[in-house]
Amino acid sequence: MRSNKLLALALGGLLVAAAACGGSSNGSSNNNGNGKTGGTLVFGTSADPVSMDGAYVSDGESLRVVDQIFETLVTTKAGGTDPEPKLAESYTPSADGKVWTFKLRKNVKFHDGTPFNAAAVCFNFDRWYNFKGIQQSPSVSYYWSTVFGGFKNTTNADVPKTSLYASCQASDDSTAVVNLTSPSASFIPGLAVPAFSIASPDALTKYNADKVSGTGDSPKFDGTFGTQHPVGTGPFKLESFTPGDKLVLARNDDYWGSKAKLDKVIFKPIAKGTDRRQALESGDIQGYDFVDPADVDALKSGFKVMQRPAFNVGYVGFNQKMAPLNNLKIRQAIAHALNRDALVKAKYPPGAQVAKEFMPPQLFGYAADVTDYDYNVDTAKQLIKDSGVAAKDLTLTFWYPTDVSRPYMPDPKANWEAFKSDLEAVGFKIIAKSAPWRPDYNQKVNNGAAQMYLLGWTGDFGDPDNFVGTFFRTSQPAWGFNNPEIFSALEGARTESDLGKRTSDYQAANKLIMDFLPGVPYVHTQPSLAFNKNVNGYVPSPVSLESFATVTVG
Amino acid sequence: MSVAESESVLLLAEHTGEEGGSRLKLAFRQLRRNPVAVIGAALILLFVAVAILAPLLAPYSPTHGDLSNITVSHVPGPSSKHWLGLDLQGRDELSRIIYGARASLLIGVVSLTLGATLGMLLGALAGGFGGWVDSIIMRLMDIMLAVPGLLFAIAVAALLGPSLRSVMTAIAVVNVPVFARLLRASMLGQRESDYVLAARSLGVKRRKIIIGHVLPNSLAPVIVQGTLALATAIIDAAGLAFLGLGSADPSVPEWGRMLTDTQQYLRTAPQLALFPGAAILLSVLGFNLLGDALREALDPKLRR
Repeated sequence: MRSNKLLALALGGLLVAAAACGGSSNGSSNNNGNGKTGGTLVFGTSADPVSMDGAYVSDGESLRVVDQIFETLVTTKAGGTDPEPKLAESYTPSADGKVWTFKLRKNVKFHDGTPFNAAAVCFNFDRWYNFKGIQQSPSVSYYWSTVFGGFKNTTNADVPKTSLYASCQASDDSTAVVNLTSPSASFIPGLAVPAFSIASPDALTKYNADKVSGTGDSPKFDGTFGTQHPVGTGPFKLESFTPGDKLVLARNDDYWGSKAKLDKVIFKPIAKGTDRRQALESGDIQGYDFVDPADVDALKSGFKVMQRPAFNVGYVGFNQKMAPLNNLKIRQAIAHALNRDALVKAKYPPGAQVAKEFMPPQLFGYAADVTDYDYNVDTAKQLIKDSGVAAKDLTLTFWYPTDVSRPYMPDPKANWEAFKSDLEAVGFKIIAKSAPWRPDYNQKVNNGAAQMYLLGWTGDFGDPDNFVGTFFRTSQPAWGFNNPEIFSALEGARTESDLGKRTSDYQAANKLIMDFLPGVPYVHTQPSLAFNKNVNGYVPSPVSLESFATVTVG
Repeated sequence: MSVAESESVLLLAEHTGEEGGSRLKLAFRQLRRNPVAVIGAALILLFVAVAILAPLLAPYSPTHGDLSNITVSHVPGPSSKHWLGLDLQGRDELSRIIYGARASLLIGVVSLTLGATLGMLLGALAGGFGGWVDSIIMRLMDIMLAVPGLLFAIAVAALLGPSLRSVMTAIAVVNVPVFARLLRASMLGQRESDYVLAARSLGVKRRKIIIGHVLPNSLAPVIVQGTLALATAIIDAAGLAFLGLGSADPSVPEWGRMLTDTQQYLRTAPQLALFPGAAILLSVLGFNLLGDALREALDPKLRR
């Protein structure tokens, strides 16, 4: 009977609640107590890697695996963002900043036994530079276009026509010289991204790394380099990869540096945060990434919860093409109306801090003395009065994404509801709009279709250009403004080579930006990882460059 | 609606016969003596009263909260100030449940009125004219019925985009074929009865027989269906809201949405899933109890 089914459905709601009360037991896992070296760590990730070919990926889960198998010329200091040499022992620029000489580490071998040398470095650079067709799509080679711009023959309309990269010569076996078309301060920090990992030229050719079909938005990697045969120089090598089940890495016993302590690392994809938590509690895994904010406190009693230094920003964006957001007083009124402290305290895990500007405090160029917009309803109301905007024009279309959780907005809808309530309290009328995060929401915002929106950014590498530069160095439809003063300040800071001067340039730019108020930054968060208490040696990094080579179990 | 059920409704329609008005009176008297019906009616009355009087009953604003007592790991539960505690945005949960009744009632009544009106119109046309009109309308209804109700509603709501209006439209559309088929079946039964034969032999016009006699006597099963359909509408509305297809503004209190929102926080605030769940349960229970009792009262075969 239908009516019985209806009752059953209604009861479902109650059952869901009852199930939650049940909870799950805090099972302590019995690992093989192999002491300080050896053993296996099973680590819960949120997804499989898209590919293990660094050149083709930009998502964290792929970069995590690539970073264990491969190495870059330059890396970041463990737990920080400052660059330090890795496969290159040193790097020096020419006087004009356009020629970089990399002195390479000697006696390094790829996993397939072939030698790592200057020819291999140039092979990789030239491979990236010569990408064709689908390989040029920003969703395939995102980091190349971010750091270097265009390709040898740029055919993709979404990529800059010119390239920062000019050429590479192997002047001797251990010296690689990279020529740039212009000086760039973000070249070296950019190279630390695992997308610029040096792969074995033999393996790249043998396993058809350059065979890509499909479309730019959903590429299909036909070669087996990125799925079964990633060959690098890193402390781990791939043992097996079963998509949807597990990815097994084994120690590289021929590693040039201090060898990995673990015998094996197994990455297990578990999509939902609650499921990862349960897997940890039941002992199926010994650690996992992206702890749900609500679980941080609960896990602290029985497990080791680690937090990455804040290297992101969550913000409310304004599209100034759409009135009344072109009115500075209205933007200021919104900034004063939003109770950012209350939101960050209520909806974010411990460690989150209220943002004052569009980049995190850890990064050089952060200005402590930008204009501060404190929560003040009266100021907001007064600013609205002073703005000259009629009450009937105080309607804002405010967008939020669905089906997404990001460290800077674990629950976008909750942020939206809090801000809506704040804005209504000072007299704005809010129209709700939402769209699924990928691809609709991002497209709508980036095309300038959204008037006011929730968005954020996690830094890729330790350079201010990767924060404020990506937002405000050029005119963008999402922001809908044209402010030459800000544009040129950021362009100047980007090409400046003196670090002291760059720092003060970015500080000045940050002040300009926060006076102009293109949006309201509201949070920097510290994404959390959880481990069993017997797991040691994991160093959380702001840019998620975390090696498992130093990790021990037991 | 299951086949067995529609058959029983069909049988019931055949038996209503000449008694007409007196039958309803009889049914009402019987309902009053049936405790199940009384409980059902009381629940419905409570639900309707809460929905209509929401602004008077709700102790706090349902849309504006205070985040100062909320953290990701703690949401205050019931207290003397907030009888059902606070929700995830620091709003009074009781006020939101009370205002949520409004959305549910509004969706239920509007979608039912729309769906039933259109369905009955089509059913009356089919049952009244017969022939090819009947064939075309009923085949169309069969096609619509072939798709599972909630799935159909999801498709319609997704097509129209998230808003209360599209939820109402979606549920109304799902209801159309149910009512069309029911009224037609009921009318077909009446058309064969003796009083229609008598009227026809007296020379009463066909149109007058249908509108004046057949139609009014065919309404009993529709009333029963209407009560049950309201229950379905509330469930469907909650389901659609749960799937994110409710009102575009997530701060509008809707029971289904309130359930969705608490998913992530089941561990820290299980009570927030309990309350909207209970609200849905009680309102649906009310309509189901009354609907079942009505069916019993109106169907002589089921009468003890």
